[in-house]
Amino acid sequence: MTSSSATSRKALSKIASNRLQKELVEWQVNPPVGFKHKVTDNLQRWVIEVNGAPGTLYANETYQLQVDFPEHYPMEAPQVIFLPPAPLHPHIYSNGHICLDILYDSWSPAMTVSSVCISILSMLSSSTVKQRPEDNDRYVKNCRNGRSPKETRWWFHDDKV
Amino acid sequence: MGNKLGRRRQVVDEKYTKPQGLYHHKDVDIKRLRKLILESKLAPCYPGDEDSTCDLEECPICFLFYPSLNRSRCCTKGICTECFLQMKVPNSTRPTPCPFCKTSNYAVEYRGVKTKEEKGIEQIEEQRVIEAKIRMRQKELQDEEERMQKRQDLSSSSRTMGEVDHGSIGVLSSRSPVDEEEIVSADQSCSTSMTRQPPHLRTNRDDEFDLDLEDIMVMEAIWLSIQNQENGKHKGLAQSEAAPSEQYVSEDHYVSQATAPLAGSASSPSGGLACAIAALAERQQTSGESSFNHNTTMSTYNVLPNCGQFYPNAVQASDSYAAPEGGTELAHGGGIPMARDDGEWNMDRGSEVAEAGTSYASSDSPEDAGGISALPQSNEVDAGFQNLPAPIVPESFEEQMMLAMAVSLAEARAVASGPGVTWQ
Repeated sequence: MTSSSATSRKALSKIASNRLQKELVEWQVNPPVGFKHKVTDNLQRWVIEVNGAPGTLYANETYQLQVDFPEHYPMEAPQVIFLPPAPLHPHIYSNGHICLDILYDSWSPAMTVSSVCISILSMLSSSTVKQRPEDNDRYVKNCRNGRSPKETRWWFHDDKV
Repeated sequence: MGNKLGRRRQVVDEKYTKPQGLYHHKDVDIKRLRKLILESKLAPCYPGDEDSTCDLEECPICFLFYPSLNRSRCCTKGICTECFLQMKVPNSTRPTPCPFCKTSNYAVEYRGVKTKEEKGIEQIEEQRVIEAKIRMRQKELQDEEERMQKRQDLSSSSRTMGEVDHGSIGVLSSRSPVDEEEIVSADQSCSTSMTRQPPHLRTNRDDEFDLDLEDIMVMEAIWLSIQNQENGKHKGLAQSEAAPSEQYVSEDHYVSQATAPLAGSASSPSGGLACAIAALAERQQTSGESSFNHNTTMSTYNVLPNCGQFYPNAVQASDSYAAPEGGTELAHGGGIPMARDDGEWNMDRGSEVAEAGTSYASSDSPEDAGGISALPQSNEVDAGFQNLPAPIVPESFEEQMMLAMAVSLAEARAVASGPGVTWQ
Protein backbone atom coordinates (compact mmCIF):
# COMPACT_ATOMS: atom_id res chain seq x y z
CA MET A 1 0.00 0.00 0.00
CA THR A 2 2.65 2.50 -0.91
CA SER A 3 1.52 5.79 -2.26
CA SER A 4 2.83 8.92 -3.85
CA SER A 5 1.33 12.20 -4.85
CA ALA A 6 1.54 11.02 -8.45
CA THR A 7 -0.95 8.20 -7.91
CA SER A 8 -3.35 10.40 -6.01
CA ARG A 9 -3.63 12.64 -9.07
CA LYS A 10 -4.75 9.77 -11.25
CA ALA A 11 -8.44 9.38 -11.91
CA LEU A 12 -10.41 7.14 -9.64
CA SER A 13 -10.65 3.49 -10.58
CA LYS A 14 -14.07 2.16 -11.33
CA ILE A 15 -14.32 0.49 -7.98
CA ALA A 16 -13.14 3.63 -6.17
CA SER A 17 -15.60 5.80 -7.98
CA ASN A 18 -18.43 3.39 -7.32
CA ARG A 19 -17.64 3.18 -3.65
CA LEU A 20 -17.29 6.94 -3.26
CA GLN A 21 -20.64 7.53 -4.89
CA LYS A 22 -22.21 5.18 -2.41
CA GLU A 23 -20.39 6.77 0.49
CA LEU A 24 -21.66 10.15 -0.62
CA VAL A 25 -25.24 8.91 -0.82
CA GLU A 26 -24.91 7.37 2.62
CA TRP A 27 -23.42 10.61 3.92
CA GLN A 28 -26.33 12.60 2.59
CA VAL A 29 -28.81 10.26 4.21
CA ASN A 30 -26.92 9.98 7.48
CA PRO A 31 -24.16 12.57 7.89
CA PRO A 32 -21.81 12.21 10.86
CA VAL A 33 -22.76 14.66 13.63
CA GLY A 34 -20.74 17.87 13.41
CA PHE A 35 -19.76 17.57 9.73
CA LYS A 36 -21.03 19.09 6.53
CA HIS A 37 -19.97 18.03 3.08
CA LYS A 38 -19.57 20.99 0.75
CA VAL A 39 -21.23 20.08 -2.47
CA THR A 40 -19.01 20.01 -5.56
CA ASP A 41 -19.02 17.94 -8.68
CA ASN A 42 -15.60 16.58 -7.86
CA LEU A 43 -15.96 13.13 -6.40
CA GLN A 44 -12.21 12.81 -5.96
CA ARG A 45 -11.84 15.79 -3.64
CA TRP A 46 -14.24 16.36 -0.80
CA VAL A 47 -14.22 19.49 1.31
CA ILE A 48 -15.88 18.92 4.65
CA GLU A 49 -16.77 21.42 7.32
CA VAL A 50 -15.98 20.34 10.87
CA ASN A 51 -17.67 21.88 13.88
CA GLY A 52 -15.81 21.58 17.17
CA ALA A 53 -17.81 19.45 19.59
CA PRO A 54 -19.63 21.33 22.34
CA GLY A 55 -17.89 21.19 25.69
CA THR A 56 -14.44 20.82 24.11
CA LEU A 57 -11.65 23.31 23.43
CA TYR A 58 -12.90 23.65 19.87
CA ALA A 59 -16.55 24.31 20.63
CA ASN A 60 -18.12 26.89 18.33
CA GLU A 61 -15.14 26.73 15.95
CA THR A 62 -15.41 25.60 12.37
CA TYR A 63 -12.61 24.13 10.26
CA GLN A 64 -12.37 22.63 6.83
CA LEU A 65 -11.03 19.24 5.92
CA GLN A 66 -9.87 18.44 2.42
CA VAL A 67 -10.05 14.79 1.48
CA ASP A 68 -8.33 13.61 -1.71
CA PHE A 69 -8.94 10.09 -2.91
CA PRO A 70 -6.27 8.06 -4.68
CA GLU A 71 -6.95 5.96 -7.75
CA HIS A 72 -7.05 2.80 -5.68
CA TYR A 73 -9.24 3.99 -2.88
CA PRO A 74 -10.22 2.28 -0.57
CA MET A 75 -7.23 -0.04 -0.84
CA GLU A 76 -5.15 3.09 -0.40
CA ALA A 77 -5.86 5.69 2.25
CA PRO A 78 -7.29 9.07 1.26
CA GLN A 79 -5.14 12.12 1.87
CA VAL A 80 -6.76 14.18 4.60
CA ILE A 81 -5.57 17.65 5.58
CA PHE A 82 -7.02 20.73 7.23
CA LEU A 83 -7.37 23.73 4.98
CA PRO A 84 -5.92 26.88 6.54
CA PRO A 85 -6.36 27.91 9.23
CA ALA A 86 -5.76 24.50 10.78
CA PRO A 87 -6.93 24.05 14.37
CA LEU A 88 -4.33 24.48 17.08
CA HIS A 89 -3.73 20.93 18.24
CA PRO A 90 -0.66 18.97 19.41
CA HIS A 91 -1.04 16.62 16.43
CA ILE A 92 -2.00 19.07 13.72
CA TYR A 93 0.73 20.99 11.91
CA SER A 94 0.24 24.55 10.78
CA ASN A 95 0.23 23.40 7.15
CA GLY A 96 -2.83 21.30 7.92
CA HIS A 97 -1.11 17.93 8.04
CA ILE A 98 -2.59 15.61 10.65
CA CYS A 99 -0.59 13.10 12.62
CA LEU A 100 -3.18 10.34 12.95
CA ASP A 101 -2.28 6.71 12.37
CA ILE A 102 -5.47 5.67 10.59
CA LEU A 103 -4.68 8.12 7.80
CA TYR A 104 -1.41 6.33 7.10
CA ASP A 105 -0.10 3.02 8.45
CA SER A 106 -3.28 1.97 10.14
CA TRP A 107 -5.64 2.75 7.30
CA SER A 108 -8.02 -0.06 6.55
CA PRO A 109 -10.24 -0.31 3.46
CA ALA A 110 -13.10 -1.02 5.83
CA MET A 111 -12.93 2.62 6.96
CA THR A 112 -14.99 5.29 5.30
CA VAL A 113 -14.83 9.05 4.95
CA SER A 114 -17.43 9.20 7.66
CA SER A 115 -15.46 7.05 10.10
CA VAL A 116 -12.28 9.03 9.38
CA CYS A 117 -14.14 12.25 10.13
CA ILE A 118 -15.36 10.88 13.43
CA SER A 119 -11.81 9.87 14.36
CA ILE A 120 -10.54 13.35 13.60
CA LEU A 121 -13.28 14.98 15.63
CA SER A 122 -12.51 12.61 18.47
CA MET A 123 -8.86 13.57 18.26
CA LEU A 124 -9.81 17.24 18.47
CA SER A 125 -12.22 16.66 21.31
CA SER A 126 -9.74 14.85 23.53
CA SER A 127 -7.17 17.62 23.30
CA THR A 128 -6.39 19.41 26.54
CA VAL A 129 -4.21 22.16 25.11
CA LYS A 130 -4.37 24.31 22.04
CA GLN A 131 -0.86 24.17 20.74
CA ARG A 132 1.15 23.10 17.71
CA PRO A 133 3.28 19.96 17.67
CA GLU A 134 6.76 20.53 19.08
CA ASP A 135 8.45 19.98 15.72
CA ASN A 136 5.97 22.09 13.79
CA ASP A 137 8.40 24.58 12.27
CA ARG A 138 10.90 21.98 11.18
CA TYR A 139 8.24 19.75 9.68
CA VAL A 140 6.40 22.51 7.87
CA LYS A 141 9.69 23.74 6.38
CA ASN A 142 10.39 20.26 5.07
CA CYS A 143 7.02 20.14 3.39
CA ARG A 144 7.36 23.44 1.54
CA ASN A 145 7.52 21.80 -1.85
CA GLY A 146 3.92 20.67 -1.44
CA ARG A 147 4.71 17.23 -0.19
CA SER A 148 1.76 15.05 0.70
CA PRO A 149 1.44 14.02 4.33
CA LYS A 150 1.17 10.47 3.04
CA GLU A 151 4.85 10.66 2.13
CA THR A 152 5.80 11.57 5.64
CA ARG A 153 7.18 8.84 7.80
CA TRP A 154 4.92 9.36 10.74
CA TRP A 155 5.90 8.45 14.20
CA PHE A 156 2.84 7.79 16.29
CA HIS A 157 3.92 8.20 19.84
CA ASP A 158 1.03 9.64 21.74
CA ASP A 159 -2.15 7.67 22.04
CA LYS A 160 -3.69 9.92 24.65
CA VAL A 161 -4.86 12.78 22.49
CA MET B 1 -22.01 -21.07 14.58
CA GLY B 2 -18.83 -22.29 13.02
CA ASN B 3 -19.94 -25.85 12.49
CA LYS B 4 -19.54 -27.73 9.28
CA LEU B 5 -23.25 -28.36 8.95
CA GLY B 6 -23.77 -24.75 8.04
CA ARG B 7 -21.64 -25.04 4.97
CA ARG B 8 -23.46 -26.39 2.00
CA ARG B 9 -21.40 -27.44 -0.91
CA GLN B 10 -22.72 -25.93 -4.02
CA VAL B 11 -21.82 -26.51 -7.59
CA VAL B 12 -20.03 -23.42 -8.76
CA ASP B 13 -20.14 -22.32 -12.33
CA GLU B 14 -16.65 -22.39 -13.79
CA LYS B 15 -16.77 -18.71 -14.71
CA TYR B 16 -17.16 -17.70 -11.07
CA THR B 17 -13.97 -19.43 -10.06
CA LYS B 18 -11.80 -16.57 -11.25
CA PRO B 19 -11.79 -12.85 -10.53
CA GLN B 20 -14.35 -10.82 -12.43
CA GLY B 21 -11.98 -7.91 -12.90
CA LEU B 22 -13.03 -5.77 -9.97
CA TYR B 23 -9.35 -5.08 -9.33
CA HIS B 24 -6.16 -5.52 -11.24
CA HIS B 25 -5.01 -8.49 -9.31
CA LYS B 26 -1.35 -9.07 -9.09
CA ASP B 27 0.20 -12.18 -7.66
CA VAL B 28 -3.01 -14.14 -7.58
CA ASP B 29 -2.59 -17.86 -7.91
CA ILE B 30 -5.53 -18.49 -10.25
CA LYS B 31 -5.30 -22.23 -9.94
CA ARG B 32 -5.32 -22.18 -6.22
CA LEU B 33 -8.16 -19.71 -6.14
CA ARG B 34 -10.22 -21.95 -8.41
CA LYS B 35 -9.55 -24.91 -6.15
CA LEU B 36 -10.53 -23.01 -3.04
CA ILE B 37 -13.75 -21.82 -4.60
CA LEU B 38 -14.65 -25.27 -5.89
CA GLU B 39 -14.01 -26.68 -2.43
CA SER B 40 -16.29 -24.01 -0.97
CA LYS B 41 -13.46 -22.56 1.06
CA LEU B 42 -13.90 -19.18 -0.56
CA ALA B 43 -17.02 -17.53 -1.88
CA PRO B 44 -17.45 -17.74 -5.66
CA CYS B 45 -16.43 -14.63 -7.58
CA TYR B 46 -19.91 -13.58 -8.54
CA PRO B 47 -20.08 -10.24 -10.23
CA GLY B 48 -21.14 -7.73 -7.59
CA ASP B 49 -24.47 -5.99 -7.97
CA GLU B 50 -24.71 -2.23 -7.72
CA ASP B 51 -27.99 -2.31 -5.88
CA SER B 52 -29.40 -4.29 -3.07
CA THR B 53 -32.09 -6.79 -3.73
CA CYS B 54 -33.61 -8.68 -0.88
CA ASP B 55 -31.28 -11.64 -0.55
CA LEU B 56 -27.91 -10.05 -1.29
CA GLU B 57 -25.16 -9.12 1.14
CA GLU B 58 -23.06 -6.00 0.78
CA CYS B 59 -19.31 -6.33 0.84
CA PRO B 60 -18.13 -3.63 3.26
CA ILE B 61 -15.05 -2.92 1.16
CA CYS B 62 -16.30 -2.51 -2.39
CA PHE B 63 -19.91 -1.77 -1.38
CA LEU B 64 -21.20 -4.18 -4.02
CA PHE B 65 -23.85 -6.81 -3.35
CA TYR B 66 -23.26 -10.55 -3.50
CA PRO B 67 -25.30 -13.70 -2.90
CA SER B 68 -22.76 -14.74 -0.25
CA LEU B 69 -19.57 -13.50 1.34
CA ASN B 70 -16.56 -14.94 3.13
CA ARG B 71 -16.38 -14.35 6.89
CA SER B 72 -13.32 -13.32 8.83
CA ARG B 73 -12.44 -15.90 11.46
CA CYS B 74 -11.76 -13.24 14.07
CA CYS B 75 -14.89 -11.12 13.84
CA THR B 76 -17.12 -12.86 11.24
CA LYS B 77 -17.33 -9.73 9.12
CA GLY B 78 -18.15 -10.40 5.50
CA ILE B 79 -15.90 -9.74 2.53
CA CYS B 80 -16.14 -10.68 -1.13
CA THR B 81 -13.45 -12.90 -2.56
CA GLU B 82 -12.00 -10.25 -4.84
CA CYS B 83 -11.63 -7.72 -2.03
CA PHE B 84 -10.15 -10.43 0.14
CA LEU B 85 -7.48 -11.07 -2.49
CA GLN B 86 -6.55 -7.40 -2.30
CA MET B 87 -6.06 -7.48 1.42
CA LYS B 88 -2.87 -9.42 1.38
CA VAL B 89 -0.01 -7.00 1.13
CA PRO B 90 2.39 -8.45 -1.42
CA ASN B 91 6.00 -8.94 -0.35
CA SER B 92 5.19 -8.21 3.23
CA THR B 93 6.63 -10.35 5.96
CA ARG B 94 4.17 -9.09 8.47
CA PRO B 95 0.89 -11.00 8.79
CA THR B 96 -2.02 -9.09 7.36
CA PRO B 97 -4.26 -7.58 10.04
CA CYS B 98 -8.01 -7.99 9.78
CA PRO B 99 -9.34 -4.85 8.08
CA PHE B 100 -12.30 -4.83 10.44
CA CYS B 101 -10.98 -5.62 13.88
CA LYS B 102 -7.20 -5.41 13.35
CA THR B 103 -6.57 -8.89 14.69
CA SER B 104 -3.33 -10.04 13.14
CA ASN B 105 -3.25 -12.97 10.76
CA TYR B 106 -6.41 -12.18 8.91
CA ALA B 107 -8.13 -15.30 7.62
CA VAL B 108 -11.56 -15.99 6.22
CA GLU B 109 -13.84 -18.96 5.89
CA TYR B 110 -16.83 -19.54 3.70
CA ARG B 111 -20.07 -20.83 5.08
CA GLY B 112 -22.22 -20.46 2.03
CA VAL B 113 -25.30 -18.39 1.78
CA LYS B 114 -26.53 -17.16 5.11
CA THR B 115 -29.23 -19.22 6.67
CA LYS B 116 -32.49 -17.69 7.74
CA GLU B 117 -31.44 -17.96 11.38
CA GLU B 118 -28.19 -16.14 10.73
CA LYS B 119 -30.04 -13.39 8.94
CA GLY B 120 -32.51 -13.17 11.77
CA ILE B 121 -29.75 -12.87 14.34
CA GLU B 122 -28.08 -10.21 12.28
CA GLN B 123 -31.28 -8.25 11.98
CA ILE B 124 -31.75 -8.36 15.71
CA GLU B 125 -28.20 -7.16 16.22
CA GLU B 126 -28.68 -4.34 13.78
CA GLN B 127 -31.83 -3.39 15.57
CA ARG B 128 -29.92 -3.29 18.85
CA VAL B 129 -27.21 -1.13 17.36
CA ILE B 130 -29.78 1.31 16.08
CA GLU B 131 -31.51 1.41 19.44
CA ALA B 132 -28.18 1.95 21.21
CA LYS B 133 -27.39 4.79 18.84
CA ILE B 134 -30.70 6.41 19.58
CA ARG B 135 -30.09 6.07 23.31
CA MET B 136 -26.64 7.57 22.92
CA ARG B 137 -28.01 10.50 21.03
CA GLN B 138 -30.68 11.09 23.62
CA LYS B 139 -28.07 10.91 26.36
CA GLU B 140 -25.90 13.40 24.52
CA LEU B 141 -28.76 15.83 24.20
CA GLN B 142 -29.67 15.39 27.82
CA ASP B 143 -26.09 15.89 28.97
CA GLU B 144 -25.79 18.96 26.87
CA GLU B 145 -28.95 20.34 28.38
CA GLU B 146 -27.69 19.66 31.86
CA ARG B 147 -24.37 21.24 31.09
CA MET B 148 -26.09 24.38 29.93
CA GLN B 149 -28.25 24.32 33.01
CA LYS B 150 -25.22 24.03 35.25
CA ARG B 151 -23.50 26.91 33.53
CA GLN B 152 -26.55 29.05 34.01
CA ASP B 153 -26.79 28.08 37.64
CA LEU B 154 -23.18 28.91 38.21
CA SER B 155 -23.15 32.20 36.41
CA SER B 156 -26.52 33.64 37.33
CA SER B 157 -26.55 33.46 41.10
CA SER B 158 -26.21 31.17 44.02
CA ARG B 159 -29.83 31.54 44.98
CA THR B 160 -30.73 27.93 44.41
CA MET B 161 -27.62 26.74 46.06
CA GLY B 162 -28.35 28.94 49.02
CA GLU B 163 -31.71 27.35 49.46
CA VAL B 164 -30.42 23.84 49.34
CA ASP B 165 -27.68 24.92 51.62
CA HIS B 166 -30.06 26.24 54.16
CA GLY B 167 -32.10 23.11 54.10
CA SER B 168 -29.19 20.83 54.65
CA ILE B 169 -27.90 22.94 57.44
CA GLY B 170 -31.26 22.64 59.03
CA VAL B 171 -30.85 18.89 58.96
CA LEU B 172 -27.40 19.11 60.39
CA SER B 173 -28.35 21.56 63.08
CA SER B 174 -30.95 19.29 64.53
CA ARG B 175 -28.18 16.84 65.28
CA SER B 176 -25.14 18.93 65.93
CA PRO B 177 -24.63 21.92 68.13
CA VAL B 178 -25.15 24.59 65.51
CA ASP B 179 -27.50 27.37 66.39
CA GLU B 180 -29.78 29.47 64.28
CA GLU B 181 -27.44 32.41 64.09
CA GLU B 182 -24.90 30.33 62.32
CA ILE B 183 -27.40 29.16 59.80
CA VAL B 184 -28.19 32.69 58.88
CA SER B 185 -24.60 33.64 58.54
CA ALA B 186 -24.00 30.58 56.46
CA ASP B 187 -26.65 31.64 54.07
CA GLN B 188 -25.26 35.11 53.79
CA SER B 189 -21.73 34.07 53.19
CA CYS B 190 -22.83 31.64 50.59
CA SER B 191 -22.07 33.70 47.55
CA THR B 192 -18.56 34.50 48.69
CA SER B 193 -17.71 30.93 49.30
CA MET B 194 -19.18 30.10 45.92
CA THR B 195 -16.61 32.16 44.14
CA ARG B 196 -13.78 31.07 46.31
CA GLN B 197 -14.38 27.42 46.71
CA PRO B 198 -15.04 25.41 43.61
CA PRO B 199 -12.36 25.93 41.00
CA HIS B 200 -11.71 22.21 40.96
CA LEU B 201 -15.33 21.46 40.83
CA ARG B 202 -15.78 23.66 37.88
CA THR B 203 -13.20 21.91 35.80
CA ASN B 204 -14.67 18.62 36.79
CA ARG B 205 -18.05 19.69 35.64
CA ASP B 206 -16.95 19.72 32.08
CA ASP B 207 -15.61 16.23 32.28
CA GLU B 208 -17.62 13.42 30.91
CA PHE B 209 -18.64 11.85 34.17
CA ASP B 210 -22.34 11.56 34.23
CA LEU B 211 -23.30 13.23 37.40
CA ASP B 212 -26.78 14.07 38.26
CA LEU B 213 -27.17 17.79 38.50
CA GLU B 214 -29.05 17.29 41.68
CA ASP B 215 -26.26 15.22 43.17
CA ILE B 216 -23.73 17.89 42.39
CA MET B 217 -25.87 20.56 43.90
CA VAL B 218 -26.49 18.60 47.05
CA MET B 219 -22.83 17.74 47.38
CA GLU B 220 -21.81 21.29 46.87
CA ALA B 221 -24.40 22.58 49.26
CA ILE B 222 -23.32 20.28 52.02
CA TRP B 223 -19.72 21.08 51.43
CA LEU B 224 -20.56 24.72 51.65
CA SER B 225 -22.57 24.19 54.76
CA ILE B 226 -19.61 22.59 56.47
CA GLN B 227 -17.34 25.35 55.36
CA ASN B 228 -19.78 27.91 56.52
CA GLN B 229 -20.30 26.16 59.76
CA GLU B 230 -16.64 26.47 60.40
CA ASN B 231 -16.50 30.03 59.29
CA GLY B 232 -19.48 30.76 61.43
CA LYS B 233 -17.92 29.27 64.49
CA HIS B 234 -14.75 31.23 64.21
CA LYS B 235 -15.68 34.53 62.80
CA GLY B 236 -13.13 36.87 61.30
CA LEU B 237 -10.32 34.50 61.62
CA ALA B 238 -6.74 34.84 60.83
CA GLN B 239 -5.76 31.68 59.14
CA SER B 240 -3.21 29.89 61.17
CA GLU B 241 -2.56 26.42 59.99
CA ALA B 242 -0.23 25.00 62.53
CA ALA B 243 -2.81 24.47 65.21
CA PRO B 244 -5.41 22.61 63.22
CA SER B 245 -2.92 20.39 61.49
CA GLU B 246 -1.43 19.47 64.81
CA GLN B 247 -4.88 18.60 65.94
CA TYR B 248 -5.30 16.43 62.91
CA VAL B 249 -2.15 14.57 63.53
CA SER B 250 -3.24 13.65 66.96
CA GLU B 251 -6.62 12.62 65.71
CA ASP B 252 -5.01 10.42 63.21
CA HIS B 253 -3.00 8.90 65.93
CA TYR B 254 -5.99 8.06 68.02
CA VAL B 255 -7.87 6.49 65.23
CA SER B 256 -4.94 4.47 64.06
CA GLN B 257 -4.53 3.09 67.49
CA ALA B 258 -8.05 1.98 67.40
CA THR B 259 -7.41 0.02 64.25
CA ALA B 260 -4.22 -1.54 65.38
CA PRO B 261 -5.45 -4.58 67.23
CA LEU B 262 -7.76 -5.60 64.42
CA ALA B 263 -6.19 -4.64 61.18
CA GLY B 264 -2.73 -5.46 62.36
CA SER B 265 -1.11 -2.31 61.07
CA ALA B 266 -1.26 1.04 62.70
CA SER B 267 0.85 2.71 60.09
CA SER B 268 -1.81 3.38 57.49
CA PRO B 269 -3.89 6.46 58.06
CA SER B 270 -6.41 5.33 55.49
CA GLY B 271 -7.02 2.13 57.35
CA GLY B 272 -7.60 4.04 60.52
CA LEU B 273 -9.94 6.45 58.86
CA ALA B 274 -11.84 3.78 57.06
CA CYS B 275 -12.13 1.86 60.28
CA ALA B 276 -13.40 4.81 62.20
CA ILE B 277 -15.89 5.67 59.53
CA ALA B 278 -17.01 2.10 59.17
CA ALA B 279 -17.46 1.80 62.89
CA LEU B 280 -19.34 5.01 62.95
CA ALA B 281 -21.56 4.03 60.07
CA GLU B 282 -22.17 0.71 61.73
CA ARG B 283 -23.20 2.35 64.91
CA GLN B 284 -25.53 4.59 63.03
CA GLN B 285 -27.09 1.65 61.32
CA THR B 286 -27.61 -0.26 64.50
CA SER B 287 -29.25 2.73 66.05
CA GLY B 288 -31.60 2.72 63.10
CA GLU B 289 -30.94 6.22 61.91
CA SER B 290 -31.17 5.85 58.19
CA SER B 291 -31.44 9.49 57.34
CA PHE B 292 -28.52 10.10 59.57
CA ASN B 293 -26.46 7.57 57.76
CA HIS B 294 -27.27 9.37 54.58
CA ASN B 295 -25.98 12.56 56.07
CA THR B 296 -22.67 11.09 56.94
CA THR B 297 -22.20 9.73 53.53
CA MET B 298 -22.92 13.05 52.03
CA SER B 299 -20.44 14.88 54.16
CA THR B 300 -17.82 12.49 53.00
CA TYR B 301 -18.52 13.12 49.36
CA ASN B 302 -18.33 16.78 49.54
CA VAL B 303 -14.86 16.47 50.82
CA LEU B 304 -13.83 14.65 47.72
CA PRO B 305 -14.64 17.13 44.97
CA ASN B 306 -11.93 19.47 46.08
CA CYS B 307 -9.46 16.80 45.29
CA GLY B 308 -9.70 16.91 41.53
CA GLN B 309 -8.51 13.60 40.27
CA PHE B 310 -10.37 11.52 42.75
CA TYR B 311 -13.67 12.79 41.65
CA PRO B 312 -14.64 9.59 39.89
CA ASN B 313 -14.39 7.81 43.19
CA ALA B 314 -16.72 10.27 44.68
CA VAL B 315 -19.12 9.58 41.89
CA GLN B 316 -19.02 5.89 42.51
CA ALA B 317 -19.51 6.46 46.15
CA SER B 318 -22.51 8.62 45.53
CA ASP B 319 -24.09 5.81 43.56
CA SER B 320 -23.81 3.55 46.49
CA TYR B 321 -25.26 5.64 49.22
CA ALA B 322 -28.72 4.40 48.57
CA ALA B 323 -27.61 0.85 49.09
CA PRO B 324 -28.47 -0.80 52.37
CA GLU B 325 -24.82 -1.29 53.29
CA GLY B 326 -24.19 2.40 52.92
CA GLY B 327 -21.79 2.27 55.80
CA THR B 328 -19.58 -0.35 54.29
CA GLU B 329 -19.55 1.37 50.97
CA LEU B 330 -18.51 4.49 52.67
CA ALA B 331 -15.45 2.82 54.01
CA HIS B 332 -14.46 1.89 50.48
CA GLY B 333 -15.10 5.28 49.07
CA GLY B 334 -13.03 6.85 51.78
CA GLY B 335 -10.23 4.37 51.61
CA ILE B 336 -9.49 4.15 47.94
CA PRO B 337 -8.37 7.66 47.12
CA MET B 338 -5.72 7.68 49.78
CA ALA B 339 -3.66 4.85 48.40
CA ARG B 340 -4.85 4.73 44.92
CA ASP B 341 -2.11 2.70 43.32
CA ASP B 342 -2.95 -0.01 45.73
CA GLY B 343 -6.59 -0.36 44.94
CA GLU B 344 -7.13 -4.01 45.59
CA TRP B 345 -5.36 -4.05 48.85
CA ASN B 346 -7.38 -1.15 49.90
CA MET B 347 -10.63 -2.75 48.94
CA ASP B 348 -9.82 -5.79 50.97
CA ARG B 349 -8.78 -3.65 53.77
CA GLY B 350 -11.94 -1.70 53.47
CA SER B 351 -14.15 -4.70 53.93
CA GLU B 352 -12.00 -6.04 56.70
CA VAL B 353 -12.37 -2.77 58.39
CA ALA B 354 -16.08 -2.78 57.86
CA GLU B 355 -16.25 -6.14 59.56
CA ALA B 356 -14.24 -4.75 62.36
CA GLY B 357 -16.81 -2.06 62.64
CA THR B 358 -19.50 -4.65 62.92
CA SER B 359 -17.75 -6.33 65.72
CA TYR B 360 -17.56 -3.11 67.62
CA ALA B 361 -21.18 -2.46 67.24
CA SER B 362 -22.33 -5.87 68.24
CA SER B 363 -20.09 -6.27 71.21
CA ASP B 364 -22.18 -5.64 74.24
CA SER B 365 -19.94 -6.87 76.98
CA PRO B 366 -17.97 -4.23 78.83
CA GLU B 367 -14.73 -6.23 78.83
CA ASP B 368 -14.73 -6.31 75.06
CA ALA B 369 -15.35 -2.66 74.81
CA GLY B 370 -12.53 -1.98 77.17
CA GLY B 371 -10.12 -4.06 75.17
CA ILE B 372 -10.80 -2.62 71.77
CA SER B 373 -12.22 0.69 72.82
CA ALA B 374 -12.51 2.33 69.46
CA LEU B 375 -15.42 4.48 70.25
CA PRO B 376 -14.32 6.19 73.41
CA GLN B 377 -11.29 7.27 71.50
CA SER B 378 -13.44 8.46 68.68
CA ASN B 379 -15.20 10.57 71.18
CA GLU B 380 -11.95 12.04 72.26
CA VAL B 381 -11.35 12.93 68.70
CA ASP B 382 -14.74 14.45 68.62
CA ALA B 383 -14.05 16.50 71.67
CA GLY B 384 -10.82 17.71 70.25
CA PHE B 385 -12.57 18.85 67.18
CA GLN B 386 -15.22 20.78 68.94
CA ASN B 387 -12.84 22.61 71.19
CA LEU B 388 -10.63 23.67 68.36
CA PRO B 389 -9.24 27.07 69.10
CA ALA B 390 -8.30 27.89 65.53
CA PRO B 391 -10.28 27.91 62.30
CA ILE B 392 -10.43 24.84 60.17
CA VAL B 393 -9.47 25.53 56.64
CA PRO B 394 -9.01 22.11 55.17
CA GLU B 395 -6.22 22.17 52.66
CA SER B 396 -5.30 18.66 51.79
CA PHE B 397 -7.56 15.80 51.00
CA GLU B 398 -6.56 14.12 54.20
CA GLU B 399 -7.51 17.10 56.24
CA GLN B 400 -10.82 17.31 54.52
CA MET B 401 -11.36 13.67 55.20
CA MET B 402 -10.61 14.32 58.83
CA LEU B 403 -12.99 17.18 58.91
CA ALA B 404 -15.75 15.16 57.37
CA MET B 405 -15.16 12.42 59.84
CA ALA B 406 -15.08 14.82 62.72
CA VAL B 407 -18.33 16.35 61.62
CA SER B 408 -20.00 13.02 61.36
CA LEU B 409 -18.62 12.07 64.72
CA ALA B 410 -20.08 15.21 66.13
CA GLU B 411 -23.39 14.26 64.63
CA ALA B 412 -23.12 10.77 65.90
CA ARG B 413 -22.44 12.02 69.35
CA ALA B 414 -25.34 14.38 69.27
CA VAL B 415 -27.71 11.52 68.67
CA ALA B 416 -25.73 8.99 70.54
CA SER B 417 -28.08 7.02 72.68
CA GLY B 418 -28.46 3.34 73.36
CA PRO B 419 -25.40 1.39 72.28
CA GLY B 420 -23.10 4.38 72.19
CA VAL B 421 -23.66 5.07 75.81
CA THR B 422 -22.94 1.59 77.02
CA TRP B 423 -19.58 1.66 75.33
CA GLN B 424 -18.52 4.62 77.26
